[in-house]
Amino acid sequence: MSKSSKYNGDDIWKNNVEKINSELFTLTYGSVVAQLCRDFNNNYHEVNNQLDKMGYNIGLRLIEEFLAKTGVRRCQTFRETSEIISKIGFKIFLNIVPTIENWSSDNKTCSLILPEPNPLTEFVELPITTDSKISKELWYSQILCGVLRGALQMVQLDVDVNFVKDVLRGDDRTEIRLKLNKVLKDEIPAGED
Amino acid sequence: MSNDNDIILSSATSMSTLTINEVSKDGFGYNPSVGPQSNIITPEASTFLLSSKKSIITNNPNSIYDKNIINKKNLEISLSSLAFLFCEMVNWCHSNSKGIQDLETRLNGLGYQVGQRYIELIKLREGFKTNKREVKIVEILQFIHGTFWKAIFGKTANELEKSQDVLNEYMITDNVPLMSKFISIPKEYGELNCSAFMAGIIEGALDSSAFFANVTAHSVPITGYPLRTVFLIKFDDSLSIRESLRS
Amino acid sequence: MSSYYLTIIGTRDNPLYEVEFSSFKPNSSSTSSSASASSIPGRAQFAPDVREILPFIANSSLDIIDDSQWSTSNFNLGRVDSFYGLVVNAFITQGNVKFVLCYDNVGSGTNSKYDDNLIRQFFIDVNDLYVKCLLNPFYRVNDAIVSPEFDIKVKLLARKYF
Repeated sequence: MSKSSKYNGDDIWKNNVEKINSELFTLTYGSVVAQLCRDFNNNYHEVNNQLDKMGYNIGLRLIEEFLAKTGVRRCQTFRETSEIISKIGFKIFLNIVPTIENWSSDNKTCSLILPEPNPLTEFVELPITTDSKISKELWYSQILCGVLRGALQMVQLDVDVNFVKDVLRGDDRTEIRLKLNKVLKDEIPAGED
Repeated sequence: MSNDNDIILSSATSMSTLTINEVSKDGFGYNPSVGPQSNIITPEASTFLLSSKKSIITNNPNSIYDKNIINKKNLEISLSSLAFLFCEMVNWCHSNSKGIQDLETRLNGLGYQVGQRYIELIKLREGFKTNKREVKIVEILQFIHGTFWKAIFGKTANELEKSQDVLNEYMITDNVPLMSKFISIPKEYGELNCSAFMAGIIEGALDSSAFFANVTAHSVPITGYPLRTVFLIKFDDSLSIRESLRS
Repeated sequence: MSSYYLTIIGTRDNPLYEVEFSSFKPNSSSTSSSASASSIPGRAQFAPDVREILPFIANSSLDIIDDSQWSTSNFNLGRVDSFYGLVVNAFITQGNVKFVLCYDNVGSGTNSKYDDNLIRQFFIDVNDLYVKCLLNPFYRVNDAIVSPEFDIKVKLLARKYF
């Protein structure tokens, strides 16, 4: 029996999470991304970086609440970790459960496929302009990558996280790639990126 | 028919990249720099509209335009997620601002954009048969204090009062405002009131409805409610003139 | 067969969106008229001189709309103006965005009640589309609406109601 089945994301979501209407979150995040695009003068690489940084800071703090609410213990394998991220982590914070696929043969790289509606992007349509810069450069939900990177670092996992597909760009699905670099040995994580 | 002397210039700076020579890809899409001529029914568009197939052009299966936003299922999310996001918003605004006043202005601005959108969405959801446009100061305030507050924050606000001393000033009080509930303000932020974001939402909603106002959040704790916040709404003087003309 | 001109007007009296169309229904009644003028279903058939002044007619009705804005709490303002055989109907949202529909009233004199009801329904559905557009964080109040998806949906409504 896999270890992740000990923890039930649905139960925690139902009984132990204070909930709000997702629209306030969707509109607030939209307001932030739009403002960042203006502040960085539509330099979308910088917008991605800033979102990632904000996410990273969130991840560093979010892990504490996650562990306290779920009682999850150290995972034995990265496969197990990814299951926990999807079925427990995404479930109790965003109320969605991404699917996990595309495992590399060394079991260190996999994809999270985000289901629709994604609470970050529910009302979003990238603007139509003659140059398609925005749909080539902006990763609208980049904050999620930062969150995962930050949270995993707190449990001694050095992981690269990045988007490879986004339905907002016209892709067939929204896909985050996770790549485990190494398991850290009791190192103290750096504060700010 | 289109005459190059009759260009209607775009009012939208964000769309300045659309040129008058731009032809929309599929025969759909309005071009403000060309005006109505950009948007006549082409033979292709006509054929398309009369056919029942839709999938050819709408390549985005998740398009907002295909969703029902009036009766959609009320999706929920963890309050913590909003709390984490909000803390980062405060951090980011803080690193870019010159002081507490500036920081509050930035938070207000972020809320403003949310309020502009919510007011139209909530009115749309109320439906047009039984409900009405808010055209009076007292009525829009009751709407904000009640229906609007409940839709966004999950409960109505606590009090709605008119200032005794100052004309055109009103106060909405929330004993436990959502945005302050989860943020403890570090000392270096001094007198910062995070409800500035909520104040921005209210201001955006009021301004959109042409009830031009300045809304600020003030912490006024009482026993039992340490987070109690008063939202002070100062309406533009022109509004009372508009109001008096009609009564 | 009537031709229609719809414009969405922002809070600074700036046009956000415009479209011209006519009924998509087969043109059975007016066999006498020169059907050769346009055989494209749905294309507006305004005379060139009328067509040129449509935006101005819509604009000139704004004064009347502004008056009703504060004297009635209805969203749908109904028929607000007429001008050289063109009728103007209007609708106003809570956010003070105006929908103005100008149309020539060819051969529908008896059915005006029916028309007004259809137009009201049409406006309500356009309002739904407008709110969807507004919810997009990249759209700002008073920006022109250039989304092709929005445009398709408005034209599908035109086909449905007229």
